[in-house]
Amino acid sequence: MEDFLIGLAPPIIRGILLGGLYVVIALGLSLVFGVMKLINVAHGDLVILGSYFAWATMGWLGIDPFLSLVVGVPLFFAFGFFVQKFIINRTFRISLDAALIACFGISIIVQGVCQAIWTPFNRSLTTAYQLQTFAVGPLIIPLRYLLDFIGGLAVMIALREFLRRTYLGKAISAASQNEQVAERMGINPNRVYSFAFAIAMACAAVAGVLQGLTFYFSPVSGPPFLIISFGVIIIGGLGSMAGTFIGGMIFGLTQTLGAYLSGGSMMVQMISAYLLVFVVLSVRPQGIFGR
Amino acid sequence: MKIPRLTTLVSVAVLVVLALFPVIGISLSWLNYLFLFFIYLALANMWNLLAGYTGLICLCPHAFVGLAGYTLAIGTWVGVPFQVGLIAGGAVAALFALLISYPVFRMRGIYFAIGTLVLPEALKAWFNFWRPVGNEYQGMGAGYSVTGVAGVNLGDTYWLGLAIAAASIFVVHIILRARLGLGLTAIRDNENTAASSGINIFRLKLYSFVIAAFIMGIAGAAYYIYSPRINPVGGFNISWLLLPLMATVIGGEGIEEGPIIGAAIVTFLRFLLADYGAWSLLIQGIILVVVVAVMPQGIAGLLRQIGAYRFPLKLFQAAEGKIHKNSK
Amino acid sequence: MLETAVLSVDRVTKHFGGIVAVKDMTFEVQAGEVVGLMGPNGAGKTTLLNLIAGVYRPDSGRILFQGKDITRYAPHKICHLGIARTYQIPQPFTSLSARQNILVAATYGGKKAAGMEHDKIFDLVNLSEQKDMLARDLATVSLKRLELARALASNPTLVLLDEVAAGSTDAEIPRILDMTKQVRKMGKTIILVEHVMKVMMEAVDRIVVMDKGEKIAEGTPGEVMKDEKVLAAYFG
Repeated sequence: MEDFLIGLAPPIIRGILLGGLYVVIALGLSLVFGVMKLINVAHGDLVILGSYFAWATMGWLGIDPFLSLVVGVPLFFAFGFFVQKFIINRTFRISLDAALIACFGISIIVQGVCQAIWTPFNRSLTTAYQLQTFAVGPLIIPLRYLLDFIGGLAVMIALREFLRRTYLGKAISAASQNEQVAERMGINPNRVYSFAFAIAMACAAVAGVLQGLTFYFSPVSGPPFLIISFGVIIIGGLGSMAGTFIGGMIFGLTQTLGAYLSGGSMMVQMISAYLLVFVVLSVRPQGIFGR
Repeated sequence: MKIPRLTTLVSVAVLVVLALFPVIGISLSWLNYLFLFFIYLALANMWNLLAGYTGLICLCPHAFVGLAGYTLAIGTWVGVPFQVGLIAGGAVAALFALLISYPVFRMRGIYFAIGTLVLPEALKAWFNFWRPVGNEYQGMGAGYSVTGVAGVNLGDTYWLGLAIAAASIFVVHIILRARLGLGLTAIRDNENTAASSGINIFRLKLYSFVIAAFIMGIAGAAYYIYSPRINPVGGFNISWLLLPLMATVIGGEGIEEGPIIGAAIVTFLRFLLADYGAWSLLIQGIILVVVVAVMPQGIAGLLRQIGAYRFPLKLFQAAEGKIHKNSK
Repeated sequence: MLETAVLSVDRVTKHFGGIVAVKDMTFEVQAGEVVGLMGPNGAGKTTLLNLIAGVYRPDSGRILFQGKDITRYAPHKICHLGIARTYQIPQPFTSLSARQNILVAATYGGKKAAGMEHDKIFDLVNLSEQKDMLARDLATVSLKRLELARALASNPTLVLLDEVAAGSTDAEIPRILDMTKQVRKMGKTIILVEHVMKVMMEAVDRIVVMDKGEKIAEGTPGEVMKDEKVLAAYFG
């Protein structure tokens, strides 16, 4: 029994660290959802696009994927801004369903682009440090999981400060909570939407690098991340950053514990995460921390 | 718009002509196109029933298709002839829809969309590892070939496809003119008012969902009789969602003839882009985004708006008048 | 609690998050009565209607309809039993015609619904000219009347009217009073939420006044208008 409990420690630690990755992915999704009440179903695919972008720059310029973010983040930011302005905005005015379908179309476009340029085979961001592990006492921790955790923390704190301290951030917060009041205060909702989407894309770029270091990916790897990050924001409750963080941990744990308890089965890993999302959606869509 | 009984005659005539195609020497490649058109039409009609008429944007057609396909395939390995497997496939899909309906209909709007998306992804993961019968299939996960269909020629599958497409049109047609159709439209327009007017929302959504699952399942299984090899990536491929969705959006959501127009275009696109591999996916996505942003009412919607039907309708009514006069 | 009461609301309470919308609400409606529900904005009137109609479930208390405990019933079941309601902001079936709108209620409203003649309903609400127009093409004034028509189409015993007179001009008030009278003549019981005082005073037998979720007064229009608590609630 004791051995069993001790044996649980590594997957638990790994799960918590892995959660950071899901936090980064979920934050982008949550930002757009909070402001526009729209779930960008292409979000997972855009994260994968980020991974491919990092992969491409690695191959092309031989630089570290984190370094590629110097170009990646502004690029994705601009891309997001224009996608929102010219596509999402238009369809949003038609109906929420139309915007949903448009996002689905973007999802297909991104999957198509990735498949056409980079083939359907699995890739990974192989860097010198990717497979490195380090020891903390008796535990062996993969470095990339630690990077995920740090990334999750960093993005969360950066986003929180941005939302609290900058004018744009406060405008986005206000619009998330009560759009009509925000509008009366002189905030242009369309502007806010565009920036929120752009920031979400920037997060996706970062998430792409982290994801690419952590897992193998292919053009169809997007939807699982969409589902999991949606689960994260539902469990964490909308509008709660701490909740999102804990939600990320929960999904990280589901995967690592699922893998551990099932002897490494990929199927159990994926399906336990999906099952969790499904159950939460049907039982308590407002989440554990939600208002 | 009153539908004159002339349309029944015309529809039957079209059906008979189409049915004669394999016999009168229409080329095999045309039979191929038409078969796929029939399958896509059936899927589109059902997706339209859910999204256009019930207001349910369902992102799980590929769950129904994959389940039905696997039921068919695995069935043929345990001695179930494919003819039975076809119906069994539809039944399994319908049963699946029934089972998940309780949790899934507690979800509204976007929650419903994502909730339904989880299902095919989970099934894909499951079938990657679950191998109930037979040996490894070329090391590519749980793929199966459908046995016992070697004797089935293209003409036979063509007729099967035609029957399924015709059935899908017929089912939508009678639903729309029955109590259920009125109720579904009410639900789509305003769910709360529908409930306070006495509509059992859950039950009507369930009928719609299970019927759609059954026919999508049969259409999917029919495809796997035509192309008798199934694996998780193919059976639960997002294309099975993209195709009916595109067909409905391009043709016109919530309009009866929309899926017919849309499915024709989608089939045509598929063949046009067949040589372009992955770029075909990209182009289809672009078309979808453009259409939903610029022409959300679809082609049929546009035609209705500009009154394009008025002239043919007048001709129709005049012709019908003449027929009735002469029969007196 | 009298057995003859059509509706009996018994100590019903409803919270939303930290806010108490309805608190310990108790009152009765007898068959054939027209009861007015009055109170300043935010008093909980619409919430109470929603509770009766089954849209919300009370946190505590009971609601009895013709002796039957309907507290936990779903909206469609409540409609079948014989309660119909209108919405403050009209909620029609936009893609259907006016005639089809009430056809929905007539088709699905339960067994009694068969007893209503649709043309008569349209005459009563003065929508006969617009029977075949699509709901999305109707003016708000007509939509409000369509709400009433749809409510009547299921042949209810009890009708919940939520601000039928809101936004009406003075010229339209007599028409509204007349409509209420005719519904009453059909033998139906009415609960009427209204801000327009003229309608409230002249259409109802009795008024229940709410403020901040609680009942603060009950009685005839004359009695209630002189009640100190009522005046305080409205005028501070």
